Amino acid sequence: MRSWFARAWSGAALVVPVWRMLPWRALGAAGAVGLLPVALARVSGARPGPLETLVLVRGAVLALALGLAFLLDDPARHTTAPVPARRALRVALRAALVAPVAALWWTAVLLLAPGSGRPPVGDVTLEAATACVLAVAAATVALRHFDEPEPGRGVATTLLAGAVLAPLLLPARWALFVAPADPRWAAAHERWAWVLAGAVVVGAAQLREPLVRRPVLRSPCGTSGPSRTC
Amino acid sequence: MTVTVSACGLTLRYGAARALDDVSVRLGRGVTGLLGPNGAGKTTLLRVLATAVPADTGAFTVLGHDPGTARGRQEVRRALGYLPQTPGFHPDFTPFEFVDYVAILKELTDRAARHREVRRVLEQVGLGEVRGKRIKKLSGGMRQRVALAAALVGDPGFLVLDEPTVGLDPEQRLRFRELIADAGEDRTVLLSTHQTEDVAMLCHRVLVMAAGRIRFDGTPAELAARADGRVWSSTARDPGAKAGWRTGTGAFRNVGDPPEGADLLEPTLEDGYLLTLDDDLAEVTA
Amino acid sequence: MTATLMRKPAPAAASTGARDSRAAVSALARFEARRLLLSIPVVLAFALYVAWIVWRTLRPSDDYPVLQDADRATQGGPLLVGLVAMLAANQAALRSLRRDTERHFAVLALTPWRRTAAHVLSVVPLALLTAAAVTAQFTWEALKSGAVGRGSVAELLTGPLLVLLFGAIGVLLARLYPSAVAGPLLVVVFLLLFVGGAFPFGGETGPVWLRPVVTTSGVHPFPSDLLGRPAAWHALYLAGLALTAALLAVLVSGGRTRSVRAGLVGVSVLAVLAGVVQTGGVPAATEAARTRASLTPEKDQTCLRRGPSHYCAFPEWTPLVDDWARVAGRVQALAGGSAHERPLLVRQRLEARYGLSGDAALEPATRPDQVTVGTSWGGNRVPEFSMAVAGVLVAGNERRAGELCDGRMVTLMWLSLAWQPDPESVLRNVRLDDSLTGSAVVLSRTEPLTMTAGQTEVVRGLFHRPFQDVAARVKTHWSELTAPGVTTDRAGRLLGVHEEVGLDRCAG
Repeated sequence: MRSWFARAWSGAALVVPVWRMLPWRALGAAGAVGLLPVALARVSGARPGPLETLVLVRGAVLALALGLAFLLDDPARHTTAPVPARRALRVALRAALVAPVAALWWTAVLLLAPGSGRPPVGDVTLEAATACVLAVAAATVALRHFDEPEPGRGVATTLLAGAVLAPLLLPARWALFVAPADPRWAAAHERWAWVLAGAVVVGAAQLREPLVRRPVLRSPCGTSGPSRTC
Repeated sequence: MTVTVSACGLTLRYGAARALDDVSVRLGRGVTGLLGPNGAGKTTLLRVLATAVPADTGAFTVLGHDPGTARGRQEVRRALGYLPQTPGFHPDFTPFEFVDYVAILKELTDRAARHREVRRVLEQVGLGEVRGKRIKKLSGGMRQRVALAAALVGDPGFLVLDEPTVGLDPEQRLRFRELIADAGEDRTVLLSTHQTEDVAMLCHRVLVMAAGRIRFDGTPAELAARADGRVWSSTARDPGAKAGWRTGTGAFRNVGDPPEGADLLEPTLEDGYLLTLDDDLAEVTA
Repeated sequence: MTATLMRKPAPAAASTGARDSRAAVSALARFEARRLLLSIPVVLAFALYVAWIVWRTLRPSDDYPVLQDADRATQGGPLLVGLVAMLAANQAALRSLRRDTERHFAVLALTPWRRTAAHVLSVVPLALLTAAAVTAQFTWEALKSGAVGRGSVAELLTGPLLVLLFGAIGVLLARLYPSAVAGPLLVVVFLLLFVGGAFPFGGETGPVWLRPVVTTSGVHPFPSDLLGRPAAWHALYLAGLALTAALLAVLVSGGRTRSVRAGLVGVSVLAVLAGVVQTGGVPAATEAARTRASLTPEKDQTCLRRGPSHYCAFPEWTPLVDDWARVAGRVQALAGGSAHERPLLVRQRLEARYGLSGDAALEPATRPDQVTVGTSWGGNRVPEFSMAVAGVLVAGNERRAGELCDGRMVTLMWLSLAWQPDPESVLRNVRLDDSLTGSAVVLSRTEPLTMTAGQTEVVRGLFHRPFQDVAARVKTHWSELTAPGVTTDRAGRLLGVHEEVGLDRCAG
């Protein structure tokens, strides 16, 4: 109980420094680039059809996801890695701090999307959430497997390649990027939900800080574990 | 002494702070050490001489070229080897690629000659065998040597080294000293460091900076001589000493103004440096 | 470690040659180009691009390429390579900032603006490689035995110029907004604009030409004189934009020399001029030529005689006349009565008045024995043509063939398909819904035909009967089979298929 309280307290104390460490410049640029086309479509009075609106909204989501790829960038990583506050706590704190801002931004995108062509809100929100979680999960994977303080650039490039290639290469029965009028819309969103769940699981699995670099065979006098003694 | 680098009245301000305050120096061939506490203006002086930042006032020439003109600055840069305080690296490059890249930026354009030169400097800093390995796989000391190779490539006439031995183990430091001494045989080398031992071992001349000014300019022996008669041994820490510490023998080594009849010791360059700074501080506060 | 302490005799400093900034820029450009070409995203994108070329060119429907269309079909792939080049060039130009080597590099002899110029130049080899791929793709098409028409160098230049333009934009972006997130975000914007359909202008002419790639792929190829695409101006526009972006990047990096400024003014004027001119629309002369080709094609065509028939085609298509004659000959060989040797006039026709993307059906010809052939060939176009020939042989002219609703449909379909290796699968291909049962619309270059369920059943039954037997029966009963009003049921029985089929469409 006490340890839980101590952890919560240390988490609360971290809020302000973590808030200041977030890559606001990248997130701001991504948010602006995503919002701009939707806003321009609204302001110019153009009446895009449902498909065009969906493309604009998906473009906005991709832009934000690219910004979120930089969420875990930490130039001081080599200094902050061995602190007692766990990586899971630090990552969760970053995600928690950015989530309300992302939610506000998403609301703005939906409100700006022309009403007549607005895609089903629940379903596109699922797509947006999946893209964002995928971006952060990919960043956690990069954090775990590469000793790079700022893996955001590589994560963003990978994410972008995935976003371009997935609609081209995914077989029709696994299609994710379908139009609202497409009969596969509901099935596609079931797949989106699965991808979201997968991303959450993968992301969470990466947060554990391994005690050993790779599993070693048990030896009669091992030294690989911290508590192992002869 | 043939003067190769000559600066006169260099002044540079950062807001209200004077990073350089009317600095004048004349350097010749060989290794000149630059000592001083943090914030003394050493790096700023090095950056001005390396043409990284122009001084507010004052002028200097390097190997006869005046960096105050575009053409002169270009000539200075062509003759310059620079090792910044915290050199960056391109971790995905190999040492060969990185030094080759720097060589191109130094306008070494004949490919075959350039590659020969890159191999030569890598060989010289002892990285010949790992020149094809990615820099991210190298140790800190090896990376530092990559940076030195990048400074040495192109046979520069003026070498500016900003704390090159920071973070090196004693063996690596020894190797570095060897390299720098080699480099100083026929070049002008300006070496900024906190390691007084490096200066004592390497330099034929030493400058001490504090608060943006040159406080001492002479040989290492002259700097050490400033502490003549001001270092003594005692069985307990002498309250009158400016600095004192128990040595391995159990006796205290004190630096400052000794009491009558004190057991005087042979001063080192570090003692001279400490006293120079201390006298200087006294001067400033007075 | 002690090995490093062993003092090795330091080799003497090598002679490093003369120092020259311009040569250094080119050396740096070569260095950066090598890294760019070997970077994983570029290698992957290029591999994907080559795979796309191979897949596209090997499609059977691409056996008879029309080269004035094949040239602009080379423009889509380089868009992908260009976007990746933009990302890679952007990251390369940001490398020294990201890795904190800028403080060191800033005092080296090669000035920042020259380094920027080298980064721009480093994209050139990738653009040349793209040009090689474009040339290979087009040459492959041109070497196909069925290729007709002629390509345009300006259309072929678009792909490599795109790569150059996007690469230069990547470097410019690095100088204007030095952040790792900017490159990927610009890719998103470009994808939205140029792939996602968010570009505010559409159509075939006018401001749509401000897009980097305007493919307007139509279904029916035009003779090259009628294309009306300002391809040369567009290539100039792209080249102007690429150079503007490149010189702007150099200028932003501090290269404010007189020649850079003058060059920037020159190339931006070129880009604006070409950009404006290309949006001017289709020239009046081309419009007039399109109308003439649509309404009075005989004025532009070359006629060749093959057997008893004449074949009139736009000059670029005359190499296909032998293919047409072979198909028409096969169909005619199966026909009976006078149709067997009737001289036909096969005329190539085109509706060019509504632009390249127009897909209007042609009016059926009313002149007896005139058969229409379109401007594309290969794939389904072959059975469509054989149906047109069979229609004229059975009904007398195209208009009447289009109105067929009785049992003559059975003879028409058998004549047009029976000589093919796998007539049933061809039948499936020419039916709009790809079905083999029930009623369906059958595609044609003029008015589409309609097959009832009964006719489909009888025709399929005929395909399953011995070919020689059916052929003999067709010749024997030719006049009854082609007489107006013959029922499908009767036609089937005459040809040996005794299926119970419903009434014909026009019987009720």
